[in-house]
Amino acid sequence: MAIRELKVCLLGDTGVGKSSIVCRFVQDHFDHNISPTIGASFLTKTVPSGNELHKFLIWDTAGQERFHSLAPMYYRGSAAAVIVYDITKLDSFQTLKKWVKELKEHGPEDIVVAIAGNKNDLGDIREVPMKEAKEFAESIAAIFIETSARNAVNVEELFQKISKQIPPLENPEDDVSDSFKLSRQPAPSTRRCC
Amino acid sequence: MASSSPPRNPPSGLTDRSGSFFKLIDTFASEIGELKREMVQTPLTVDKEPMDLQGLEGEVCGVYLQSPSCAGLGGERDSGYDSLRRRMSVLDRLTQTHPVWLLLAVSEEEATRILLKQPPGVFLVRKSAALQRKILSVRLKEDQSGSPISHLPVRESQYTFSLEDSGISFADLLRLVAFYCISRDVLPSTLKLPEAIASAKTQKELEDVAQLGAGFWDSALCSQRRTSPRACRPLSRTLSPQRSNRNREVEWSQQKHAGAHCDSAPPTLRSCATPPSFRLERRHSSGPLCFVTPLFLQTHHRHHRFEDGLPTHAVKSAEDPENEGKSSLKLLSSSPGSEQHADKVKLNGKSRTPPPRPPPPRSMPRRRPAPPPPGPPAATTRPKSMPVAVAASTRPPPSSTKRQAPARPSMGAKQGSPSKTASSPIPVPSNPPPPRPKKPDLEAHRCHIALDDETIAKALSRAKLPTCQPSSADALLEDNAGSPSTPKERGRQRLSDMSMSTSSSDSLEYSQSPGFSLGLAPSPSRHLNHQDTVEDSSDDDEDVDEDDEDYGVSLETDLEMRHRPSFKARRRRVGVSLGGGPFILPRALKGRFRKVSGMLSSLMTPERRAVKRIAEMSRDKSSYFGSLVQDYISFVQENRGCHTSGMDFLQTLRQFMTQMKAYLRQSSELDPPLESLIPEDQIDQVLEKAMHKCVLKPLKSVIEVALNDFQVKSGALQQLKENLALAKAKRPQELGVDGAVPPDPLAIEKIRHKFLNMRKMYSPEKKVSLLLRVCKLIYTIMQDNSGRMYGADDFLPMLTYVLAQCDMPTLDTEIQYMMELLDPSLLQGEGGYYLTSAYGAMALIKNFQEEQAARVLSSEARNTLHQWHRRRTTPRSAPTVDDFQNYLRVALQEVDTGCTAKTLIVQPYTTTEEVCSLCAYKFKIPDPEAYALFLVIEDTSQQLAPDTHPQRIKAELHSRPCAHTFHFVYRRIPNLNLFLPGIMDNANCIHVE
Repeated sequence: MAIRELKVCLLGDTGVGKSSIVCRFVQDHFDHNISPTIGASFLTKTVPSGNELHKFLIWDTAGQERFHSLAPMYYRGSAAAVIVYDITKLDSFQTLKKWVKELKEHGPEDIVVAIAGNKNDLGDIREVPMKEAKEFAESIAAIFIETSARNAVNVEELFQKISKQIPPLENPEDDVSDSFKLSRQPAPSTRRCC
Repeated sequence: MASSSPPRNPPSGLTDRSGSFFKLIDTFASEIGELKREMVQTPLTVDKEPMDLQGLEGEVCGVYLQSPSCAGLGGERDSGYDSLRRRMSVLDRLTQTHPVWLLLAVSEEEATRILLKQPPGVFLVRKSAALQRKILSVRLKEDQSGSPISHLPVRESQYTFSLEDSGISFADLLRLVAFYCISRDVLPSTLKLPEAIASAKTQKELEDVAQLGAGFWDSALCSQRRTSPRACRPLSRTLSPQRSNRNREVEWSQQKHAGAHCDSAPPTLRSCATPPSFRLERRHSSGPLCFVTPLFLQTHHRHHRFEDGLPTHAVKSAEDPENEGKSSLKLLSSSPGSEQHADKVKLNGKSRTPPPRPPPPRSMPRRRPAPPPPGPPAATTRPKSMPVAVAASTRPPPSSTKRQAPARPSMGAKQGSPSKTASSPIPVPSNPPPPRPKKPDLEAHRCHIALDDETIAKALSRAKLPTCQPSSADALLEDNAGSPSTPKERGRQRLSDMSMSTSSSDSLEYSQSPGFSLGLAPSPSRHLNHQDTVEDSSDDDEDVDEDDEDYGVSLETDLEMRHRPSFKARRRRVGVSLGGGPFILPRALKGRFRKVSGMLSSLMTPERRAVKRIAEMSRDKSSYFGSLVQDYISFVQENRGCHTSGMDFLQTLRQFMTQMKAYLRQSSELDPPLESLIPEDQIDQVLEKAMHKCVLKPLKSVIEVALNDFQVKSGALQQLKENLALAKAKRPQELGVDGAVPPDPLAIEKIRHKFLNMRKMYSPEKKVSLLLRVCKLIYTIMQDNSGRMYGADDFLPMLTYVLAQCDMPTLDTEIQYMMELLDPSLLQGEGGYYLTSAYGAMALIKNFQEEQAARVLSSEARNTLHQWHRRRTTPRSAPTVDDFQNYLRVALQEVDTGCTAKTLIVQPYTTTEEVCSLCAYKFKIPDPEAYALFLVIEDTSQQLAPDTHPQRIKAELHSRPCAHTFHFVYRRIPNLNLFLPGIMDNANCIHVE
C-alpha cells in the first residue's frame, strides 16, 4: 500500500487544546514502528484510508497573537487544516472565524478545513452552542465535530473524516508516471564508450 | 600428451589424506558458518549444509580443476588460465554489459521474444510497469512444462535487493545477478551470460557488446556467438586445445621471466608451477579454506560441468594477447594433433549448447577483476597491488607485505581460491543463524553483506602466506627437475593463483574501476579529514557522528593504515597456530574478522559507493556531468556578486542541484546505473547526498561569505544585532513563555555549542539534524521540569527565548541556508517543521522592535512562502540542465603573464565573436582585435571562426567517444595576416603550434 504523506496544520487560540487533541490521536494507538518525534509540536500518525495509507504530518502552531504572522509558513502546503476552538470560550470561536477567513484568502486552494469544538466534556459551561458552530461549518463546507481530548471522544473520528475528504490520489499519480518515464529513459543506447 | 591423457583424478590426492582433510573441512565449515551467520540477514535452509560438505570432494576438484573434462582439452584450459579472461569476473562482465541485460524499459512480451531465442539460463532484468518492480526474466529449459520464460520479481527492501521467495539478499542488483549466475538458489537453474559476454576476452569486446545495448539480442554478435562458438572464438579456442609441451615450456619460461622481473617479490612468487605432490601438502594446510566455496555453491558446479562442458575458453593474457595468440596459432597449424583437437572441440561444442561459462571461482560476484596471471601478466597486475603496499605506513618485509605474494605461491593459490570464493557470494545461504547478538542497525548489516567477504578473503589469504613460502622453493625445484606438470595441474594452480590474487588485491578494487575508486578520492578526502578533525575536536558529545559521511571518508584512509599492522600481527599468530594445529587458526581469525568488519562497517555501503562515485565524476571534467558541475562551481566562485540577495543566490544553487539530480537520473553517464545499485526509493536520497558533496561542499565557504556580504550590505545584520541584544535582555515571559521553565545558562551554552558545530557542516540535512537535537534538548528541559507534553503554544516562545539567549547573528544565515538548500521533499517533515519554527523565531527576534514586527514580518513571511512554493513547483517544469550548460571557462593566455581563467555565461547560440568581446571586456584587453578564441585540444590548437558557437563545440567534444582534454583559450593571434576574414568564414583555421 502506498503511503501518502499529508501535512495537516493545527490552528486555534492558545489553550483550546490543539496539542491535546493531537497527542490523544497519536498516542492512543501508538505505532511502535514509527520513529517517535522529538516533541509534541510535530507529530505523525499513519492511518489506513481506502486502499492507501495516510500519514498525517501534523504541524502544531502557536496560538498567541504575536505568532499569528508566522501561521502562513505552517499552513502552506497543508492538505488539511484543523481549526480548534474551546466550546467554553466564545473568544476562541471568534478567532476560529478569523482563521477560516485567512485560510480562504491565503491558504492552499483545495485545503480540507475541519472545525473541532474541543472540551465537550465541559458541556455545562459551554459558551458556543453546537448548533451555531455546526451551521457555520456547513456554510463554509467544513468538517465539524465536537471533541474531548481529555476523554478521547471523537478524536479518531475527526481524523477519519479528514482522511475521507482528502481527494484520492491524482497528482501523485502523475508523479509516479512521471518518474517512471524518467527511469525509463536511461536506455542504454546513449551510452558513451569513454 | 597432456591433452589426450585421461584426466588425472584430482581428488586422488585428497582422498589420501581424507581423514585429516575432512576434519579440517568440518572445522572450517563450522567456523565459516558462524561467520556467515553474522553476515547474513536471512537464514537459509539448514539441510543444505550437510549436503555441501558431502559434496566437498567433488566440489574441490571443481574448484581447482574446473572439471575433468577440461583435462581432455588441457591445452585449451591452459591457455584459458593465463588469459585475461579470468581477470574479468562475472560481476565485472555484468557491470560492463548492463546495457544489454538491464533493460528496464522492455516489456514482458519483448523480453519473452528476446529470451526465446536464447539458451536456457539466459536472462534479462526489466521493470514491470504494473508491479512497479524490477523483474528477472529467465529463459528456462525447453523440457520444462509451462512457460519457457520465468519472470521473477525482484524485491527491493530499504537496503537490499533479493529475489521474491529467496532469503538471500544483496547489496545491489549486479551482485544479485552475479550470484545467481553461480548458484541457483530459488531458480530452476543458474543464470547464464550470453556467450558473447561470457567469452569476451577483453574490455574492448565487452564494450562492443555493451554498445549494442538492447540491440545486442538481435545482433549478429549475439546469435553468431551462440550458434557457432568456434568460429567466433578463433584465438582462444583454436590455440589452446593443443597445447604441447613446447608451448608449455614457452609459457613456463615466460612465467619465470616474469618472476625474475619482480625482484622484490617474495620467492614464492616465482614458483608458479607447483608439482602435484606439493599441491597436496598445501592443500592440507590451507585446504579447508577452499571449502568455503562449496558451501555457497553447493552442487551447482558439478552441474555446470556436466551440462555446460568446459567453463573456460582459452583466453589471452590481457597484456599481450597478440603475441600469445600468434604463438599459439603457429603452434596449432604446425602441430599434428590439431585436427584431433578440433574434433574434440566440435564434440564438446555439441554437447554443450550453451557457451562455456567461466570457472566458478572467477565467476564469484566480485568486482575486482584482476587475478595476476602466473605468466607475464603478473608483472602487469603487480603495479595495481603495489600502491597499496606502499601506502602502508609500516612496510613489512616484502614477502608478507606484498599483496601479491599470496597469488604466486601455487599452493597458496589453491587455498586462496576457495577462500576468495567463499567470501565473495555475499549472501550466505546456509545455516540458520544461531541467536547471535546482531547489530540492530540495518546499515551495519548491509555492510557486512557487502564487505565481509572481501575482508575475510583478504585475511585468509594473508594468513596463508607463511605456509606457502617454504614449499614454494621446493616446488620450483621440482618444476625445474622437469616433471612436466599436466595442464590440468597447471590449471589448478593458476586458478588458485588467480583467486588468491583477487582476494589480496581487494582493497584496490575500487581504485581500479573508476566508478568506485577509493584511490581517486585521496585529495578531497584528505581535505575532508582536516575539516573533520576540527569538527570532532570541538564536538562534545553525540555530535561527533553528525558528519558521519565525511567521517567515513577519512576513515577509509585510516583503515588502510590500521589494517596493515593488524594483519601483520595476525599473520604471525596464525603461523604459529598453524603449526600447532589446524583448529586454532579459524578461531584466531574469527575474532579478527569480526573486528575488522565492524571497523569497516561504516564504509562502502552501496549508498556510500554511489555517492562517492558521483562525487568523483563531478570532479572529472571529462565527464559531461563533471564539466557541468565544475563550470558551475567556478562560475559561482567568480561571480557570487551577480545575485540580488542571499536567498536568490541559494535558490539558484538549489535549482542547480535539483537539475543535476534530474540529469543524473536520466543520463547514462553513471555506469552502472544507479538503479542497479540502489533501491528505487532510495535513489533520490542518494542523489541529494551526492549533490551536497559535489556542489555544496566545495562552495561552502563561498556561500558563507556571500550570505554574510548580502546581510551586511542590506543592513540586515546591523538590525539583527541590535534586536538580538534587545531580545536577549527580555525575560522568558516577555517573549511569550508561559509556565514552562527555560533552560539555564549552562544548557544555553550547550545549545550554543551545537549551533557552532552546525555552522561547520555543509550538508543542509546534517545541519537540520543538529537543529533537531537542539529542539529536543529544549523539549527535554521543559518536560523534565513539568512532566507534561508541550505543543507549539509553549515550544515556539521557548525556542524564541533560547535563540535570543544564544545571541548568534550568524544563525540567521544558517537558517536561511537550510531553508533554501534542504531537499524540498523534506520540508514537510519534522526537519521542515522545526526549521520553520526556527525561522519564525528568528524572524520575530529580527523584528523585535514592536512597531516593525507585525507588518514587516508578515509581508516577509509571505514572501518567503511564495518562494518556497515556487521552488517546490519549479523543479518539474524547469528546463533541466540546459540552464547550467551555459558556462564556458575561458583562459586568457598572455606571453608574459601566463594563464588566467574565467568562467563566463555563454549561451548555446552565442557566437565566438560575442565570446571574444565578452572576453575582451572581462579580461580588460585594450586591443581586442589582436585576440581570438582558440580551441586547444592536447597539442593542437585551432582558432575558432567568429560565427561558430563555442558551447556547441564544447558539447560536441563532450559527446565524442574518446574525450580529450580541451580548453578554450583567449589569446593574441600569432600572425594576423594568416587569418583573413575570408578564410575564417568557411571553417576553423587550424594551425599547429
